[in-house]
Amino acid sequence: MIWAAFRLQRLQLLTLLGLLVAGSVTVVLLRSTMVDFFTSTRLIECVAPNAGPCPASPEDLDAFAANWGDLFLVGRVVIVLLPALVGVFIGAPLFAQELEQGTHVLAFTQSVSRTRWMLSKLVVALVPALVVLVVLQYLVWWWLDAAGVLGPHANGSFHVLNFGVEHVSPVGYALFAFALGTFAGAVSRRTLVAMTAGLGVFVAARFALFGLANRWVPRERRDAPVGADADLSQGGGLWVGSGWLDTAGQQVSPDRAAALTRTCKGGTETQEAYTACLQQSGVARRYVITIPESSAWLAHVYDFAVFGGLAVLLLAGTAWALRRQS
Amino acid sequence: MTTRRHPDRALPVLAEGVGKRYRRGWALEETSLVIPENRVVALVGPNGAGKSTLMGLVTGMLRPSAGSIAVFGDEPSGKGLHPAVSYLAQQKPLYRQLTVAETLTFGARTNPTWDQGYASHLVEQAGVPMNAKVGTLSGGQRTRVALALALGKRPRLLLLDEPLADLDPLAREAVLRVLMSEARMQGMTVVLSSHVLAELEGVCDHLVLLHRGRVLLAGDVNRLSGDGTPLGELVLRHMRAAAAQEVAA
Repeated sequence: MIWAAFRLQRLQLLTLLGLLVAGSVTVVLLRSTMVDFFTSTRLIECVAPNAGPCPASPEDLDAFAANWGDLFLVGRVVIVLLPALVGVFIGAPLFAQELEQGTHVLAFTQSVSRTRWMLSKLVVALVPALVVLVVLQYLVWWWLDAAGVLGPHANGSFHVLNFGVEHVSPVGYALFAFALGTFAGAVSRRTLVAMTAGLGVFVAARFALFGLANRWVPRERRDAPVGADADLSQGGGLWVGSGWLDTAGQQVSPDRAAALTRTCKGGTETQEAYTACLQQSGVARRYVITIPESSAWLAHVYDFAVFGGLAVLLLAGTAWALRRQS
Repeated sequence: MTTRRHPDRALPVLAEGVGKRYRRGWALEETSLVIPENRVVALVGPNGAGKSTLMGLVTGMLRPSAGSIAVFGDEPSGKGLHPAVSYLAQQKPLYRQLTVAETLTFGARTNPTWDQGYASHLVEQAGVPMNAKVGTLSGGQRTRVALALALGKRPRLLLLDEPLADLDPLAREAVLRVLMSEARMQGMTVVLSSHVLAELEGVCDHLVLLHRGRVLLAGDVNRLSGDGTPLGELVLRHMRAAAAQEVAA
């Protein structure tokens, strides 16, 4: 059965192999070209965080931003799109094509159980796709990381365009897209319907569930006296909220805070006077709530759990639909 | 799924009060039936009589809504076909993207009792090139490949759902000739379904006539037409009687 599963997936497997080779070569070349540029322009001394003053010329910095900004975007968009492609071109036709052409009857009437047929097909289709995704995801990360603070990694893991291409999240999305495709195929029995419906639901779910995982990650509150010259946003992470604390350390309610802002902004012109007005009104400290960068891995794990859990449900649905198929 | 063992493991098919209900009604109702060994069975009846449903129940593709069915003493389950049973569906499904040789490999990899030499012999006998893609074959050639796939596992019971339906007369004759000679040589039971009795007359030695989901007539041909009545006339007579009964009711 494994042989048959491989043979029937040959086109997809060869395409994946081509994608792996072409993608890897492209990313490796891009990275080495970029590093060469860094070395020749002394930008290499500017990529490390907290490096000293950058010795490179402003022209070189501008040229780097102009030439590489779009490529960084393309690299990440490819990793964002790969799970959707896995769902559309590998998940959706997997069972839909057999049901459409009636070949499932052929498979079901050999001396192989439906469960084994289904599992062989699932594993042979899914595992190579995940391997290609993980390798390309790692290579893109490795390339972007070489740009250090000049590249997208400077924006932190929680940035909209970074979160979905890092850690275990892409694998979670791919599992979900794949399972969605197989389920749509097993239920609709039409390849084209499964491809379009699967893609539509996948895109909608990705938008709807974006940031859901962040809710379960512990937050951190940092505060500083009002008017103190402290940068509370330092340390990165995801900014979740902010506000004021009174002298007793209690949070000032948003209504009162808005009223205070109006009152104090009205009669004052300087920052000092504004701060003094706030202090007289009982505001002692300013705080921000963030999810620290160091907790990003936890957000990814929760994100994976959400999409992986949905994938498991959809695969169970696929098995159910195929079992009652006659 | 439990597999109930029936004492009589020699019988290819033993159905006891078996029925299958779909949303629109019963496709097969209270059918009790024995298909004995070493017979060529014509399973005939008008369209919608329940022929494909009966085949589905024997293969385990369908689960009975009532009664029980035993194939060589085992209850068919969704765990693949009984090793001693082969089934060729009406559409003769084959993977179009595989070559003929790869199709036989598929048979070898999915059937523990596969006989590669025998299957290749059947394909060569049909004059079908081994390296041709299945999608490029003619209807007759496809049927021969599908037949080689079904026979390659050396079944003791071969079920063919309307095997001749989309073949030209020449291919029809060739397929029947192969079937008859293999049935005789291998000592297996062959069940052919058709809504045209004429094409099976002279070929079958056992008849099962279905009508509106019930068995109207079943038995060995030489016993049924003991008085020399042609099979076609016998069938027609029973169908007319059934129709008259319906009108009266």
